[in-house]
Amino acid sequence: MTNDILLKLVQEQLTDYVMEWVIPEPNRLDGSLSSEQLLTAATQLKNVDGFYLVAITGIDDGAENNTLEILYHFCIKVMIVTLRVTLDRNQPTVPSLCTIFPYASPYERETGEMFGITFTSTPDTSRLFLPDDWTEGVYPLRKDAQLEGVNDVHDK
Amino acid sequence: MMSTINKSRRFTVPIGPQHPALKEPGHFEFVVDGEIVQSASVRLGYGHRGIEKAVESRSWIQNLYLLERICGICSHIHATAYCIGVEQLAGVTVPIRAQVIRTIVAELERIHSHLLWLGVAAHEAGFDTLFMYSWRDRETIMDILETLTGNRVNYSVNILGGVKYDLLPEHNEAIRMGLDFLEERTVHYVDVVTNDSLFLRRTQNIAVMSYEQALIAGVTGPTTRASGVKRDIRLDAPYLAYANYPIKLMIETHGDLEARFVVRLRELLESYQYIRTLLDVLPEGELKTRIPRRIKAGETISRVEAPRGELFYFIKSNGTDIPDRIHIRTPTLANIASVTHLVIGQHLADVPMVLIGIDPCFSCNDRMTVVDNEGSCDVWDGEKLRQYGIEYYQKRST
Repeated sequence: MTNDILLKLVQEQLTDYVMEWVIPEPNRLDGSLSSEQLLTAATQLKNVDGFYLVAITGIDDGAENNTLEILYHFCIKVMIVTLRVTLDRNQPTVPSLCTIFPYASPYERETGEMFGITFTSTPDTSRLFLPDDWTEGVYPLRKDAQLEGVNDVHDK
Repeated sequence: MMSTINKSRRFTVPIGPQHPALKEPGHFEFVVDGEIVQSASVRLGYGHRGIEKAVESRSWIQNLYLLERICGICSHIHATAYCIGVEQLAGVTVPIRAQVIRTIVAELERIHSHLLWLGVAAHEAGFDTLFMYSWRDRETIMDILETLTGNRVNYSVNILGGVKYDLLPEHNEAIRMGLDFLEERTVHYVDVVTNDSLFLRRTQNIAVMSYEQALIAGVTGPTTRASGVKRDIRLDAPYLAYANYPIKLMIETHGDLEARFVVRLRELLESYQYIRTLLDVLPEGELKTRIPRRIKAGETISRVEAPRGELFYFIKSNGTDIPDRIHIRTPTLANIASVTHLVIGQHLADVPMVLIGIDPCFSCNDRMTVVDNEGSCDVWDGEKLRQYGIEYYQKRST
């Protein structure tokens, strides 16, 4: 299957769920969707030629926009399909992908603790990278994270 | 509650986070019933330096040096993935000679990484002769890298828009001599790991991961190729010289520890051949091209095949000289969770070997606490656990 046909196929299969498609590079497809549609869209994608989940990226758009973005990158060969969900920065919640891709767990643990995003029904919510004595409610990869006092924890 | 724990034969065995064998610390907890591992969990972050946060306050050029220091073993491939991404965003094409030199160094790095792994894995199995020979041979590559770049690790070959060092005719000769020597040695190592009956007892049919299981576990790199999954970014999404000069895919189908040894050794043999090809065709030309200080706003993704598997970079620019967000998915994060599945049903004595089998990029001192029914504790260090593994197999073979 050539890249163009595969891209078209993905767009057709996911047309009911994705609000807007962007093609930033010839081998990439970037679709925005709501968090309610995420699970069905990811399931559809897995059935198209066996896309696998490579990474989950969190992006903080800053306090002025009051949104977080969460990007799910799926690949097959050279093709990359990104599903993008925009979340409310005050209460960011998305469903967990672990029922479809069991290996999403460490990625969700990482994004959860770094951005303060809640993954509903993810099997493991314990910390993956942050120290045990890390201050609750400080999410280091948010743009406005106050890390001054937090760093001192290790100097005690 | 206490009484149920005492009656049960299940104990929790913590391993890590300090570990003398490997580079980055990680912590595992294994629940064992007698000898058999029942469940496992993983905790990382002991080596977490907040690099993804740090890049957001440094310029594109400064970040090249920071990102190269993510890993001491596969440093070049991190810098390469970053450079490819930034060059994509800036719309800059790197001169072909620079691309080939990047690829040659990437393959040299793969050789030193795989030889290092072979030594560590042999050591965990109690086969220290193989460990010492493979690390002696690895010095050949370290010397070549030092001759080329002045550094044994963190070679700093890449700059945004090209490479810093040229490959001179005398380097060409030195590389070929080194590769000839290593090829002869590697052929011998393939013979050792597939025929040495004592060694095979530690690897054959241990921690088997089938094709389907590899897909479900989402593993990457040699670990997934040892289970027959045809996935290699050098072929799937060719970058640098791999686009014009395809590399051969190495696949094993057994999915056990032996297959993970064989697949890496065969990749070594292919890398030797591949570097020779690149040296033959190394085109003349410029080493670098100009790249702007401010990178156009946009998002890009760069994927490369690191020695341990698929390395993923997501780069977002807001049009300034500082990146807005860089997200890195290292191959070990994809592979590490598979260990928690792989060890279930395995003997405790095999745990160090299963861990090593994925070539993890963390250092942890296997330290385990044996809690007996009376509740007394005995803490084992990495050396004791390794010794336990060796003695366990000696006892079993008599």
